[in-house]
Amino acid sequence: MKWWSWILALLPLGVGILVLVLANTGIIASPVLYIRGNLGTLAILGGVITSLIIIVAAQLWAYNHRKHQRAIRGVQKTASEDRRHFLQRLDHELKNPLTAIKAGLSNLTYEPLDDYLAGEVSAVQAQVQRISRLVADLRKLAALETTPVDRVEVNVGELLSQVSDLVKEQTNGEARKIALILPNAPWPVPRIEGDPDLLLLAIHNLLDNAVKYTCPGDTIEVRAFDDGSEVVIEVADTGPGIPEVEIERIWEELYRGEQARGVPGSGLGLPMVRAIIERHGGSVAVRSRSNQGTAFSVRLPAK
Amino acid sequence: MANKPKLLLVDDETAITDRLAPFLSRAGYAVKVAADGEAALREAVSYGPELIVLDVLMPRMDGREVLRELRQKGDWTPIILLTQVGESAERAMALMEGADDYINKPFDPNELAARIQSVLRRASPGQPPLSVAERLRSGDLVIDRTIRRAYLNGDEINLSPKAMSLLEYMITHAEELLSRERLLDAVWGWDYPIGTRTVDTRVAELRRVLGDDPGDPRYIETIPGQGYRFIGKVEKTS
Repeated sequence: MKWWSWILALLPLGVGILVLVLANTGIIASPVLYIRGNLGTLAILGGVITSLIIIVAAQLWAYNHRKHQRAIRGVQKTASEDRRHFLQRLDHELKNPLTAIKAGLSNLTYEPLDDYLAGEVSAVQAQVQRISRLVADLRKLAALETTPVDRVEVNVGELLSQVSDLVKEQTNGEARKIALILPNAPWPVPRIEGDPDLLLLAIHNLLDNAVKYTCPGDTIEVRAFDDGSEVVIEVADTGPGIPEVEIERIWEELYRGEQARGVPGSGLGLPMVRAIIERHGGSVAVRSRSNQGTAFSVRLPAK
Repeated sequence: MANKPKLLLVDDETAITDRLAPFLSRAGYAVKVAADGEAALREAVSYGPELIVLDVLMPRMDGREVLRELRQKGDWTPIILLTQVGESAERAMALMEGADDYINKPFDPNELAARIQSVLRRASPGQPPLSVAERLRSGDLVIDRTIRRAYLNGDEINLSPKAMSLLEYMITHAEELLSRERLLDAVWGWDYPIGTRTVDTRVAELRRVLGDDPGDPRYIETIPGQGYRFIGKVEKTS
């Protein structure tokens, strides 16, 4: 509570004490008062006073709550802007040295090198490529939060079949059972509005993860249904699940869980999925149980 | 030696120019280096390059100011911008302001050499590049870039925003082999591996709307295993 709310709260007590002291010391007269009234009048009086107290208290609480929420949103916004600026600066500071290194490596390979040096240069080139890609991906992730997104009508069924066909084409995909479940009754999944290429990228990422973290024979389900004014898209698998301690952190940039070690990836896939879905006014969530599986769900406003 | 095309390389980072200048010299160009925008403007007059490779972010006078000033003076020396800005909208704006092409840092020097070659091949000396034209025509197809609309035989055609941007990029880079990765980077602004399929989907949309037969194309040719090429003859129109 703020100091002024304490004053407000203690004011009636203070007035009471003051009157008590003044009356007992004889400074003011202290007549005996008899309050008389019928039960109904006293009850309504008591009711009004109690209600007024509750209303004032509730208003104060709501005011404080709103203020608190505003402060949290402010902090989150600043943190997100700080992060974006940091990524932009990092990107900017790394680009020039990387450009110089790439040009230098090209100069080195102009003359034929012996096998040892050729091997070393090629290893350095591969690592420079890796850093370049990481920097580019971080920049694109930051840009995703601000660049305008196309708004065209997207057929969810078509989008999911496209994603599932793409993943099935990958060699690993064939060893998994990927089921696409789309309702037709009582009505098909409503359309959504957005950038079909970005949405494809996001859902592909979830399905690709499901394939990467499951074993041959596991089941993967891709499903969509409507829930009120939203379309829910789920990618669920019977894989090893995500440990509880990691669940909160999987959306962080560059975070890679225990199971991710040895699996190719940059730790930027899920943050990218979240950025894309949030740019479409949607939300992402995950539920997972150890040794049972994981379900990622994406909620997007129906058109 | 005397007939080597003259290049002006402008970047304030000596770590880059010291490596890139010898590379471009070996690629067959006579290279002169300028370390900032003001020097670039001076050299553009005194050295008379056939092409300028211009960094965008430089102290004092940045690359885009140099570009604007040269174009305002009616100097249409082809310019390739070395961009740092990730957003494709910004890069598209650079093209509208009169750059002939742009390449994102960090780039592969061989890719820069290839771009220089294709810009030099495409450029008509002293003439504005196609990238600044407001209306372009190729056969029955007309695109109006200021209002972002396309017409086939005089009728407006309905394209998704991405397909329109793709058509615009392809038509302003006609005759060039455009890899899927390059199209993704230039038009979409991202180049995740899955994206190459995205390019194919949008090219298919363009072909469908333009009534272009992939087996006997008038506009977009597929170069197997490499990418696409806009093969229609492109001219400015009013």
